[in-house]
Amino acid sequence: MAKDQSFEPLFNRWASRVRRRLALRHMLTGAALGAILALVPAGIAWKMRHGTLRPYAALTVVGGLIAGATVAYRRRWNDETVALYLDGELASDEAIATAVELDAPSDDTDPAMRAVVLQSATSALGRASRKQARPTWLRPVHLLLPLGLAGVGYITRAPLPPAPIVATDPGTTKIQLAQVDGLEKVIKLAQLDPRDEAQRERLEKIARDAEKLKEDLNKGLEKREAQDRIAKLKEQIAAERLTLGDGEQRAGLESAVSKLEENDQTKQAAKALGDHDLESMDADMEKLANSREKQDRDLAKKSMQDAADAAKKNGAPDVAKALEDEKKAMEKREKRAQGLRDLADAMKQEGIKNDGVQSQSEALDRKGTDDAAKKLSDAMGKAMDKLTPEEKKRLADRLRDEAKKGGGQSNPEDLKDLADQLSTPEGQKKLDDELKDMAKDDDEPKESKRQKGLDDAQGGADGTEKDIGKQKGQQGEGDQQGEGQQGQQGQQGQQGQQGQGQQGQGQGQQGQQGQGQGQGQQGQGQGQGQGLGLGSQGNQQGAGSSGNAQNGQSGGPGGHDVGTGNHAGATNTVDADTLKARAHGHINKAQGMPGSITTTAQGRAGGTANVRGSGDLKVVGPSEVDGVERSDVPQEYREQVRQYFQP
Amino acid sequence: MSQSHDAVLSQAAGAVASLRDAIGHVIIGQSAVVDQVMWGLVSGGHILLEGAPGLGKTLLVRTLSQCLDLKFSRIQFTPDLMPSDVVGTNVLVMDPTQRAAGSMFAVQKGPIFGQIVLADEINRATPKTQSALLEAMAEHAVTIAGTRHVLEEPFFVLATENPIEMEGTYPLPEAQLDRFLLKVIVPQPSEDELCDVLTRTTGREQSAPPRVMSRESVLQLRALCRDVAIAEPVVRYAARLTRASDPSAKDAPEVVKKGVRYGAAVRGAQSLVLAAKAVALCEGRPNVSFNDVQKVAKPALRHRIIRSFEGEADGVTTDQVIDALLAAVPTRPPQVSAEQKAQA
Repeated sequence: MAKDQSFEPLFNRWASRVRRRLALRHMLTGAALGAILALVPAGIAWKMRHGTLRPYAALTVVGGLIAGATVAYRRRWNDETVALYLDGELASDEAIATAVELDAPSDDTDPAMRAVVLQSATSALGRASRKQARPTWLRPVHLLLPLGLAGVGYITRAPLPPAPIVATDPGTTKIQLAQVDGLEKVIKLAQLDPRDEAQRERLEKIARDAEKLKEDLNKGLEKREAQDRIAKLKEQIAAERLTLGDGEQRAGLESAVSKLEENDQTKQAAKALGDHDLESMDADMEKLANSREKQDRDLAKKSMQDAADAAKKNGAPDVAKALEDEKKAMEKREKRAQGLRDLADAMKQEGIKNDGVQSQSEALDRKGTDDAAKKLSDAMGKAMDKLTPEEKKRLADRLRDEAKKGGGQSNPEDLKDLADQLSTPEGQKKLDDELKDMAKDDDEPKESKRQKGLDDAQGGADGTEKDIGKQKGQQGEGDQQGEGQQGQQGQQGQQGQQGQGQQGQGQGQQGQQGQGQGQGQQGQGQGQGQGLGLGSQGNQQGAGSSGNAQNGQSGGPGGHDVGTGNHAGATNTVDADTLKARAHGHINKAQGMPGSITTTAQGRAGGTANVRGSGDLKVVGPSEVDGVERSDVPQEYREQVRQYFQP
Repeated sequence: MSQSHDAVLSQAAGAVASLRDAIGHVIIGQSAVVDQVMWGLVSGGHILLEGAPGLGKTLLVRTLSQCLDLKFSRIQFTPDLMPSDVVGTNVLVMDPTQRAAGSMFAVQKGPIFGQIVLADEINRATPKTQSALLEAMAEHAVTIAGTRHVLEEPFFVLATENPIEMEGTYPLPEAQLDRFLLKVIVPQPSEDELCDVLTRTTGREQSAPPRVMSRESVLQLRALCRDVAIAEPVVRYAARLTRASDPSAKDAPEVVKKGVRYGAAVRGAQSLVLAAKAVALCEGRPNVSFNDVQKVAKPALRHRIIRSFEGEADGVTTDQVIDALLAAVPTRPPQVSAEQKAQA
């Protein structure tokens, strides 16, 4: 049974045409559904702030196309279905479907009738135009394709939503400080001239720790960790301050302090030495020396020498050396001040007027401090530059006359040397250099420098601690940074800042309240404090009463216990060596309490229980009267301790 | 060869058209009835005509016999009609060659031995007589006194019945109804048709219609009808229609499930396809279409669907059931139907 040569190719053309259009429609449908589905991942990417992923959501269109092609292949119409479709469209009374069936080799229809059927079908197909039988490839659902793509485009271009506000654990906020001036002072400890090798290592370690902390703060660090590390630094610096006269030298230090206390005029210096504050002691002694005449100065030097001898005798060579250095420095400054006064007097007598020299000279006479002497040196140096050679010659002559007469405050040899210097250009230059050196001369003893350096470091650490406390959290990171800024600011604003009131003056809070859009509102601080007089209170009839203040009023100190009540319940004496109050961020995960960190400290050398001190817990004696009151223990701690010991 | 077949098809369609025109000279209107009679004639099936008295059923059959060069006989069924009155009997006759003792039995053939048999008011005869006719219809042969007599082809029975005078009638049982290929309902004529009938039949008596088709032509048409091609989807459609008429079928429409007791069976499906082929042939087409099946669905199935008590109580007619079937059973696969619907 031969196949009809004209029907089959004609039908195949029609069939492929129909199938192509159906496949195109399926693919378009798949793409349209893919475009609509693309809105979901695009929306999710937008919601989750993955801005760069949004355009890739359109890949679902390609997926839809592939799925559509797959569906088109799987639902591909067979010849019979295509023939039925063509019969329906061409109104050929199923001639094509019959012909397709008869075209099969297995068909046993009468060949003549088969030929007629094929001819009829061929005729029907031949008459038909393409428009008559072509499935529509465009459907209403295909409108979803441009709509979906437009939606994806819109979501892609839409600004990302603000970053969600994520509550962080207190203290875990990251802080970042670009400029940490306070730590610079701590780092400079490594440059100090150390007392011995051990101190060098300790100072270098402190400096290294500070350097590391600075680097970490530059990179960003958790707030509580930063606070913990700065507290440790402060602790190390404070401990370093107390190494003078520590341990075996403790007895010598106390002897030196006692020696100074023997003289009423050097008691203040004794206290300064007891506080390891050599700078203050030096200033007190200089002040004492300047306030008295030469005999007093000699007395001061003698007292200092006695103190040094006592320290040396009692096994505190470091203390003794420090005191001797102080004495030498005092002598040096004395000599310098005398020379400057003589030079200023000579200028005055020669009628060489210079306002700077005049005023500084008067200030030196009035204050008699080393600082005033330095300023006079500076003014003198500048005045020397302006003097003519003739004026300098006159000045030299005047000084020689004074030397011959034995006038002036300096000894004659010194005056003569000064005159010689002014006579020659080389001497004038040398004098000029000496004056400049004098102006910036650092004649402080080494131990004073060390103590001063430690003071500076302590101050720097304090400042850094405050900076950390004030520091707010970092802004959002990564690609969220720009858009998350406002929300983060709002969050930080809500955290606010807490200040600390002074004792008896209430505790203030100054909050910065932020709102969702990052427009912080400066809150008004409200004082709400409670002063606490810490007087001893009798168990039954104590006459002392604890002061209590509201709204910033200071509570008065409590009176001494003079009652007759039962004292059996009194607590034991608190041993300062074992009293420890430490705030560690690792222990307390919550936000750090406002106020400074309290560390351990030894009792002040030479201090007694009946001495009214002026230091805080770091240096105050264990039973010093009102020591606790003057310490910078936060109000919360005070209240807690008070309630704990309350019967 | 295809050219000759094409020509044969054209000739067949032309012959049927000529016959229809010839009948149309006598029968005014009733074109649907005439077409259905043509389908029965071409396909070789028998036809049951049902209609009220006076609608021209008998005239139609008589006119058909006049147009065809075939032997026509008419049987008026009455309750006292005997089977032998239909098929014939042996009678004792004198042998002319043996005068004295010369009597012998001879077959007296009944009216069933015609080629176009009009069984008028078939439901008025007793079932016994009816079954004598139905046997001849099924087997195209009768047995008289033990001797089987094959009926002369073409053998075409057209029975009529009156649906309104049911008193004293014997409705045909379902098994016997199934023997008829088509059941044609003869409707009332329209006003125009009635006027035309009145004009023609109340005037001068008209001449008999011409004979337009010979016996050989009829046989050729019947042979050609069997050769008409039918595609598998069309066959499946006929099968689905038939199956859907069965209330126990899964995809039967609701009206079938409620109003039908028994649906059409295999013979109904055969009638459907055969009549559809006849339709195609009458229209000069070499293949059967869905439309052909739908055209013959009512005449081919209406007497094969037995309504249930609920259906009868609800007044559901078999034609309504068939309408529901045609509406419920799709011709083409769903995807093609959906495509055509979308384009429409």
